[in-house]
Amino acid sequence: MREKLKHIFAQALMNLVRAGWGGLASIATIGTSFLIIGIFLLLVLQLNALVAKWREQFRLSVFLEDRITQTQLEILEKRIQNEAAVMSIAFTSKEEALANFRRELKDQESLLEGLGDNPLPASFQLKIREGYQSPDALRRLSAFLTRLEGVEDIQYGQEWIERISNAAYLMKALGIIIGSILTLGSALIVSNTIRLAVYARAGEIEIMRLVGATKAYIRAPFLVEGMLQGSVGALLALGVLFAAYRYIAATSRLASPLFSIATDRGFLEPSMMAALVGGGALIGAIGSSLSVSRFLKT
Amino acid sequence: MIQMYHVYKTYGKDLEALVDVSLHVQKGEFVFLAGSSGAGKSTLLRLIFRDELPTSGQILVNGRNLVRMKPRAVPHLRRMLGIVFQDFKLLRDRTVEDNLALVTRVVGMPGPEGRHRVAQLLKLVGLSHKANMPPYKLSGGEQQRVAIARGLMNDPLILLADEPTGNLDPELAVDVTRLLLEINSRGTTVLVATHDLKLAEEAGRRTVFLKKGRIVEEWP
Repeated sequence: MREKLKHIFAQALMNLVRAGWGGLASIATIGTSFLIIGIFLLLVLQLNALVAKWREQFRLSVFLEDRITQTQLEILEKRIQNEAAVMSIAFTSKEEALANFRRELKDQESLLEGLGDNPLPASFQLKIREGYQSPDALRRLSAFLTRLEGVEDIQYGQEWIERISNAAYLMKALGIIIGSILTLGSALIVSNTIRLAVYARAGEIEIMRLVGATKAYIRAPFLVEGMLQGSVGALLALGVLFAAYRYIAATSRLASPLFSIATDRGFLEPSMMAALVGGGALIGAIGSSLSVSRFLKT
Repeated sequence: MIQMYHVYKTYGKDLEALVDVSLHVQKGEFVFLAGSSGAGKSTLLRLIFRDELPTSGQILVNGRNLVRMKPRAVPHLRRMLGIVFQDFKLLRDRTVEDNLALVTRVVGMPGPEGRHRVAQLLKLVGLSHKANMPPYKLSGGEQQRVAIARGLMNDPLILLADEPTGNLDPELAVDVTRLLLEINSRGTTVLVATHDLKLAEEAGRRTVFLKKGRIVEEWP
C-alpha cells in the first residue's frame, strides 16, 4: 500500500515536472482564478461584518413632545416595551440630550450660547430584535409609534444598512457567477495539461493495460497530478491575497473604517482557506478525470 | 483453455473481420494462426485478451465467459495472459530491467520477489547481461526476447503472440520461435499469429488457417 502510494506520488510529480510550462500555466490559471474568487470572498466577508456591526449598534429613536407628562411617559414606555420588535428601551431626558450634545461639540460650546431654552427633545432609544430590522417591519413599527400619544417623531438610519447589505448580496452573486466561470475555465486548462501528460505516456498506459493494470491504477497518478496543480494554484492565490491584504490593511487602516473592521477580524477563516485549497484540488481532479476517462474509454 | 463458439466480428456495417469462427485450444497446446494480413488473426487475438467483444458468439478463456465478463474483471483476465506484439512495445525511456519491473508494480508484486522474477526471466531469454541497457540499443531479436520475457512476468496460462517474428530476419525469427516452443514445453499454452507459413511448417505444430475471417483449413 505504502509502496503504491509512493509510486503514485512519484509518478505524479514526474509528470508535473515533465509538463514544464504547461504545468506552470495550469497552476497559474488556477492561481489567478482563485485570487479573484478570494478577493470577492474577502469583500463579501468585510461587508457582511460591517453590516453585522451596524445592525448590532442600530437604535431607533423615538423623540417625545416637550409637553408630555410623567404619567404619559410611563404609559408610553410600557406600550413600547410590550412590542415584540423591541429588545430593550432606554430613556434620554432633555437634560441628558443637551449634555450629550455639549460633549459631542466639545470645544465649540460657544455655538450653544444663543440657544436660551434647551431645544433638544427627550427620547427613547429602542434596540430592535434582528428579525424586525427589515425596512418593511421598521416602517410598520414606525407608523405605529408615530400614532402613540406624546410621540413627536421617529428616526432611524436603516436605509444605509439595507443598502450596504444589498451591496454585499450583489457582490456575493457576482462572485459566484465570475467564480464559476473561472473555475470551469481552470478545470479545462488542467484537463488540457493532463491530456498532454496522458499522451506522453500513451505507450506505457497501453502496456499497463495489457499486463493487467486496473483503471484506478492507471488513473491515480494523473488524478494526483491534477490535484497537485489545483491545490498549489490555490495556495499561491492565498499567499498573494494575504500579502496584498496585509499591505492594503496596513496602509489604509486609518483612512477606511471598512478595513479597520477587516484588521480586527484578521484574514479569511482557516476553514475557508482549507475549503479554497480543497476546491483547487477538486477542480484539478475534475479536469484530470475529464482527460483520462476519455482516453481510457477506447 | 480457449473455446470460441460461432464467433463473428463485424466492424461498422459490412466489414467482416471474423465469420463463424469456432476454435478450441487445449491446455498446454501450441497453435499457429496462419493467414495473410487482413485475414483476421489479430482480431481473433484481440478478442481473446478482451480488447474487443465479438459481435456475436461466445468465447471462454480458462472457463470464463468473456462476453459476460464485467469490465472490472478484465485486468484479472489479462494477468492470466502474456501478450507479445510484432513491434515489441517496449518503453524507450527505461532499461530492459525496468521494462519488466513495470509489470511487478502493476500487479503489486513485492520488491524482492519482483526483482527475482525479472532476473529469472532475463536469464530464460538469455539477456541477463543487457539488463541495464535501453531497449533501442538491442537488436530486433533481442528486443522481442525482452517483450516475451515481459509477457511471462505474470506466469501466464496462455501466451498470445501477434506476428512476433514479423520484424525479424529469418535466423532471428527461428530463434524466437524456438524460445516460444521452449516456453510451451514448460506448460504454457501458446497461440502465435503469423503470416510466415514456412515457419509454422518447420515447427510442425497445429496450424489453423484463416482467410477473410474464416477458418479454411487446419494442420495436421
